[in-house]
Amino acid sequence: MIPVQDLFASAPLLIIGGSILIALILEMVFDSQSSIVAWFSGSALLFTAYWSLYHLYDRGFAFNNMISISGRTQLLFFIVNFAAAVVVMFSMDYIKKIQTNYGEFYILLLSAVLGMMLIAAARDMVIVFIGLEQMSICFYVLAGFRRKNIKSNESAIKYFLLGSFATGFIVYGMALLYGASQTFSIPEYLAHVETLKSNPIFLLGSLLFVIGFTFKIAAVPFHMWVPDVYQGAPTNVTAFMSTAGKVSGFAALITFLSPFIDYSARTTGSAKFFMPFLATLSVLSMLYGAIVALSQSDVKRMLAYSSIAHAGYMLIGLSALSYEGVDGVLFYLVAYTLMNLGAFGIISILETQDEKMLKIEDFAGLSSRSPLLAAFLAVFLFALAGLPPFAGFFGKYFVFVSAVENGMTWLAIVGVISSVISVYFYLRIIVLMYFSKGENTEVVSVPKSALLGVFVVFIMFVIMSAFPQKFEGIIHTIGLLTY
Amino acid sequence: MIPLPYYLLISAFMFIMGVIGVLTRKNAIIVFMSIELMLNAANLSFVAFSSFLGNIYGQLFVFFVMAVAAAEAAVGLAIIISIFRNKATVNLDEINLLKW
Amino acid sequence: MDLYLILFYFFAIITLVSAFFVVTTRNVIYAAFNLMLTLFGVAGFYVLLGADFIAIVQLIVYVGGILILLIFGVMLTNKITDTDIKSGFLNRVPGLLIVGTFAGILIGTLLKSTWRIAAPLPPPVAGLVGIGNLLMTEYTLIFEILGAVLLIALIGAASIARKQSN
Repeated sequence: MIPVQDLFASAPLLIIGGSILIALILEMVFDSQSSIVAWFSGSALLFTAYWSLYHLYDRGFAFNNMISISGRTQLLFFIVNFAAAVVVMFSMDYIKKIQTNYGEFYILLLSAVLGMMLIAAARDMVIVFIGLEQMSICFYVLAGFRRKNIKSNESAIKYFLLGSFATGFIVYGMALLYGASQTFSIPEYLAHVETLKSNPIFLLGSLLFVIGFTFKIAAVPFHMWVPDVYQGAPTNVTAFMSTAGKVSGFAALITFLSPFIDYSARTTGSAKFFMPFLATLSVLSMLYGAIVALSQSDVKRMLAYSSIAHAGYMLIGLSALSYEGVDGVLFYLVAYTLMNLGAFGIISILETQDEKMLKIEDFAGLSSRSPLLAAFLAVFLFALAGLPPFAGFFGKYFVFVSAVENGMTWLAIVGVISSVISVYFYLRIIVLMYFSKGENTEVVSVPKSALLGVFVVFIMFVIMSAFPQKFEGIIHTIGLLTY
Repeated sequence: MIPLPYYLLISAFMFIMGVIGVLTRKNAIIVFMSIELMLNAANLSFVAFSSFLGNIYGQLFVFFVMAVAAAEAAVGLAIIISIFRNKATVNLDEINLLKW
Repeated sequence: MDLYLILFYFFAIITLVSAFFVVTTRNVIYAAFNLMLTLFGVAGFYVLLGADFIAIVQLIVYVGGILILLIFGVMLTNKITDTDIKSGFLNRVPGLLIVGTFAGILIGTLLKSTWRIAAPLPPPVAGLVGIGNLLMTEYTLIFEILGAVLLIALIGAASIARKQSN
């Protein structure tokens, strides 16, 4: 018998799980041209996002401690649900434009969200694994959703093969973790962290597990798929993968590392064995992403490399293995999600049916074709570049500060260098949009729902940029509640 | 009696062969088979640990991995078929519209 | 030499040799058949380890399900009569280099570490009963989610592999 508190604590999961089934029935009953499934899934996602925000300070455990609901979980629930709801708004016209207007799209989106929420709530490695697979399987299909388009097929197969490869590493890593600790439960790891941290099998297992997850967060050494998949997948799917997918990858890493973060906070600085490893991944991702992005000519591909660099910045916060670092990562994740959603959303509006408007030079003179979209895009790109006064800057600031406080000033310096490099390729687009004339002068037709999506993201983003300290305070408070 | 490290070594060898297969082969189906080898290697480790530790959770996890592998296989084959319809190849170096 | 050890070496040879052929053979169908042998070998290990339920599931799901699906994939994507079914190798040197380092670390750690568990096998855990009980109590949630994973795999596979016409 499942207690009622369990059901209440896991309400967001149940709402989304139920919505999948209802959406399936709706898709079956109504004809495929009606957008009822889209409206239904959009409102279910928005409702869940609202629910999580409303219960931000609640705590609870459910299903025999398999799932724990805490402030951090609720915040992650909010991010993924919000991102998915915005992606639904972008998709309503986009999937008609690319002639794949099928209700399954929204069902797969909802299922991916279910997987992400499981990862965010997990207190047990088995839940992390199942949630990850639920999410990945949906992503494999979504990446290839434009199934008559060879680029989309290609991105799906690359994503699938490399994703399963990463799953292999994760499962093998978990086998070693299990052999060393005899358990899958994260509270158990927390209880035995003293003995586990010197067990070579456990460390090897952890390394394999973390390497597997660098795939999901799009960091070096499992970054090979990122540019191809982000470029080839439908733009709305890319918007979703690059934001919510990355959020849940980091959620899994934070969940898995939380015993060590806690341990290193209790006993100052004696659990730093993950630090060199995570710091290396971080440096490689930042520099690789920023430098390779310079030479790109396709916007989606450029943003893909930029997302590799952003994963690097966020890894700085994790490699500090401190509470402040994790708070910084969470702040950065929210900011990054909003910026990237906005940028990809605008690209999905501009993209034409025959895949024009995806080259960087196509953005020349955009400010005269659609002043509103150009202005929004400029804001999001400024923010991605990490320039003040936008939230992207504060995200970097919090992460760098946590690195400096933990005696890794060099890591922060590499981060600053890489940010300086990356300013160039973001500003290049802005300069093109405002200071050069394009050949194409026709006015862009903007679908209302997608514009609403961009607008919602923009408002959230402005609020976050205006009150970064307050926001950081909230994240800090709910972070303390988690332990 | 057979000691635990024997099983672990067999499993490690299988895993490494799987990794070699993924990195060196170019037929998508063979790459997928190599991934199945990796998953089987992990499963073997799980069952070995489970029975030497007298702890059932490892066997249970193997059960989950198998279910997930079946789901992945279904989706993977669907993707391979959809790409074959458009391009008539499953060789990864011929699938090169996007740079690999 | 006791029977267990003989069986162990027998399964070890089957598994490793056929796994090697899966990775190296140029013919996709041969690879599939070698994969079948590997899966049988692993099932044999499961039996030796006292996990008979898992061994049977291995045969049903892997050999009966996944492998058949793979062979279907081979048949549908290659014309079986053509010699085109061969497949070659891709960037061999860097791949092997990375794997070599990785293998060294992995096997080194496995050999060096000491295992707390002593030699004799503890009484075999009651496989089927234990798994069944856990699935219905502690792991209910995961059992349900597995249903969702399989459902979504079904929907997803059908939605990308269906006919091209609208």
